[in-house]
Amino acid sequence: MSTTKGLATPAAGATARTPASTPARTAALTPALTAALTTLAALALSLPPLRVLIEQSMVWHMLVQMPLLVLAGWWAAAAWGPAQGLRWNRYGLSGFMLAQCIAAYWMIPALVDRAVVLPGADAAKLVTLWLAGAALRLGYVQAPPVVQLFFIGYGLPMMAWLGLYLAGTDLRLCNAYSLESQVRAGWGLLGLAVVLGLAWAVALCRGLWASAPQSISWRAGASP
Amino acid sequence: MSSPPTDPLRGLPGTFALCLGVLCIALAAVYQATAGGTAFTTETLRRTAVAQSPVAVPDFSVIDAQGRSQTLRQLVGQDGRVWIVDFVYTRCTTLCLTLGTVFQQLQAQIVAQGLTQQVGLLSISFDPLADQPPALADYAQRMRMQPAVWQLVSLQNETDRRRLLDSFGIMVVPAPLGEFEHNAALHIVNPQGQLVRILGLGDGAAALELAISLAAAQGSSGAR
Repeated sequence: MSTTKGLATPAAGATARTPASTPARTAALTPALTAALTTLAALALSLPPLRVLIEQSMVWHMLVQMPLLVLAGWWAAAAWGPAQGLRWNRYGLSGFMLAQCIAAYWMIPALVDRAVVLPGADAAKLVTLWLAGAALRLGYVQAPPVVQLFFIGYGLPMMAWLGLYLAGTDLRLCNAYSLESQVRAGWGLLGLAVVLGLAWAVALCRGLWASAPQSISWRAGASP
Repeated sequence: MSSPPTDPLRGLPGTFALCLGVLCIALAAVYQATAGGTAFTTETLRRTAVAQSPVAVPDFSVIDAQGRSQTLRQLVGQDGRVWIVDFVYTRCTTLCLTLGTVFQQLQAQIVAQGLTQQVGLLSISFDPLADQPPALADYAQRMRMQPAVWQLVSLQNETDRRRLLDSFGIMVVPAPLGEFEHNAALHIVNPQGQLVRILGLGDGAAALELAISLAAAQGSSGAR
C-alpha cells in the first residue's frame, strides 16, 4: 500500500479504488440501489403523509424508521465507502464508537419524544442515524472479531435491556406514545437485539470458516 | 482486516484520539439533553424545568359547569388560594379515574383539615369539543366535587387547547376505544398564576403539603 489515505471521504475512496473488473462493478450497483431505496423509505416516514405512522406508533418510529436509517447508511458505506481501511479507524474502533454513541443517544426516551415533536430534532435524527449505519459498516469491516465482540456485546444487550424495560414498566416513558405502543416497541427491540446478535454470530462463523484455511495459503504466498 | 499494513500500531494514536473526541461530544450532547444526566424522560425534564423556573400559566377564557366564563388567571388569582391543578376529559374511563380518586382524597383532606381558604383543587378539561357545561356538571356530580374546594372548567375556545397543553407541557395521544392518554400529574399553581411545581400522581400528600406551605408564604407576604 503506497498511499496513506487517512480520513478519505467516501467519494475520494470510490475514485481511488483500483479499477474493478466488469462483474464486480455491476455487483456494486446493488448496494448503491439498496442504499438509495432504504434512505428514501426512511426519509418518507418523516414526511407527510407517512409521518403520522411514526407520530402515533413507537414501533414504526423505533423499529422501522430508525433501523431503516441505519441500514441505509450501512449500504451506502458498502457501496461508496473506501476500498481500504481508513487510517484513523484502526481495528474499526472509531466507526464502532461513533455508531454506538449515536445509537445510545437515540435510545433516550426524552430524545425520541423530541424527534416526534420538533422538526429540527427529527432532522438531526435522520442525519445521525444514517451516519451511524455508515460508521458501523466502516467499523465492522476493519474490526477483528474480538473488537466486534466488544462493541456488539455491549450494544445489543443495551438494546435488549431497554426493550425489556419498555415492555415491563407501567410508566409511560415517552409522552408522545401510549403505553400500549411502548410495550409493543419494547418486545420488538428485544427481538431485534436477538436477531441482530444471531445474524452477527452467523456472519462471524461463516467468515472464520471461509478464511481459516485460505489465510494460511495467503500468508505463505503473496506479500504486498 | 485483510488490509496489509503490517505495523499493528499504525494509525492507532489517531484512532484513539478520534474515539475520545467522539465519546466526549456524545457525552456532552447527552448531558445537555438530559439536564445534566438527571432526566431521561420528557416528563422528568418538564418537572425539573418547572421546579427551577416557574412558568406563567396562559390567560384565556375558561367555562365552568354553570356556563360562567372567566379567564384562567382570574380563576387562580380569585382569593389567594394555591391551586393543585390536573388535566382531564370527562369521557375518560382509565387514568382520569385514578386522578379523580387522588383529587377526591385531597378534597376530603382539605375539608377535614380546614384548609379551604388556603388550597383549592382545579381540574381543567383538554377536550373542549365534548366537555361543554352539561358534561362538566355530570362529571362534577359523579366525582362528588364540592364547588368550594374543587372546581372544574373547560376551555371556552377550542383554539386555545394547543396553547394550554403546551404551556403546561401536556402531551395528549389518542388511545384505543376513543380514549386519550396523557402525562397525568399534579400541578401546583400559585395565585399569581405561576406553575411552580409538578408532582406525580402518587405524591398527593407531598403536593398538599407544598400547597399549604406556599399558601402560608403567600399569606405572610400579603399581610406585610
